[in-house]
Amino acid sequence: MLCAFLRVVQHMEKLPGCLGGQLLPHFVHTKACLKTQPLRWGLFEQKKTVHPRTELGFTRKTFCTQGPDPQKAKEDSSKQVSVHRNQRGETGLSMSQKVKEAGRDFSYLIVVFFGVSITGALLYTVFKELFSSSSPNIIYGKALGKCRAHPEVISVFGKPLKGYGEMSRRGRRQHVSFVEYVKNGLKRIRVKFYIEGSEPGRQGTVHAEVEENPQSGQFEFRYVYVNVTPMRSIIIEDNRSQES
Amino acid sequence: MEEYAREPCPWRIVDDCGGAFTMGVIGGGVFQAIKGFRNAPVGIRHRFRGSVNAVRIRAPQIGGSFAVWGGLFSTIDCGLVRLRGKEDPWNSITSGALTGAVLAARSGPLAMVGSAMMGGILLALIEGVGILLTRYTAQQFRNAPPFLEDPNQLTPKEGAPAPGYPNYQQYH
Repeated sequence: MLCAFLRVVQHMEKLPGCLGGQLLPHFVHTKACLKTQPLRWGLFEQKKTVHPRTELGFTRKTFCTQGPDPQKAKEDSSKQVSVHRNQRGETGLSMSQKVKEAGRDFSYLIVVFFGVSITGALLYTVFKELFSSSSPNIIYGKALGKCRAHPEVISVFGKPLKGYGEMSRRGRRQHVSFVEYVKNGLKRIRVKFYIEGSEPGRQGTVHAEVEENPQSGQFEFRYVYVNVTPMRSIIIEDNRSQES
Repeated sequence: MEEYAREPCPWRIVDDCGGAFTMGVIGGGVFQAIKGFRNAPVGIRHRFRGSVNAVRIRAPQIGGSFAVWGGLFSTIDCGLVRLRGKEDPWNSITSGALTGAVLAARSGPLAMVGSAMMGGILLALIEGVGILLTRYTAQQFRNAPPFLEDPNQLTPKEGAPAPGYPNYQQYH
């Protein structure tokens, strides 16, 4: 039991951080002194029966010594431990090991790079979708704003107007259908979504189209109209007359 | 257009909660089975018993926490849709952030902010994957960009109706 206690002390001495290593043994070893002194004979007997195991390159025999010597024994043991560790450390770093380490580090780097690039691509897609003026979602948002402000639409559908896109299989309706095409060298995007108001059963389809303005690079509305029934449409905005 | 006559929203919460629970139970079951197998003493019978025990104890817990996450996310999402009146990717990202914040509420405000950021970024990534998938699978079916006329509803300003809009197939 006492040798177990001393073994714990020895392990605690090897703790990382020289502060802990130095503070601790000081009063642990005084306790050890107190304990080893009266039990000197007992210890030596024990020493004979316990067969000396090589623990980290030195036997227990050197450790269990009497009163004034534990300090020196501890220093010896710590020196022995550090030397032994050094020897083992040196034999570890041969050339092949270094190459293996470098190869492993390189492969980890590749994996990290891969992951970061995929995440970056996804985040870029999301930002482009949410913030650039050429994304269908932004066009849908602006067109919905125009619909909400138009008095005829309000009178037909009712005040809190809500808009949504195509129904997907999970029941979420975030996807807005759109077509992109080029005419006269300028890009145009046509968007279609649905609106519904507080009037029950009334659903309208909104069609909006934007064209790229070559000077500013922004997309501007060409027309916005609402198809209330197959028979009736409300034209909210028609800017085609401004074209040449 | 729509096959269902009803709104998806309140029923979507139950849908999402159940789906998340199933995912958690199945995924958690597989992981816990392997973990229980490995952590059991040597011997096939011990290992199987350890595996079954681990699944029996932990898989419902994992399923439950997934279900809480999914249900809360869907609730906040439907709430935002109702509030804003439009369905957007912004709803999903904000819902993810708020769900993360609410579920970390016991650990104090700083943990809530961190959890909210994680939830928001996770949902943004999921939305990104969804958007990319939709765009690319739709592009497969698209033929060469057509010459699209202006719709008939516009040219006579009285709004004479068009019989049908033939270019609808081009939408994706």
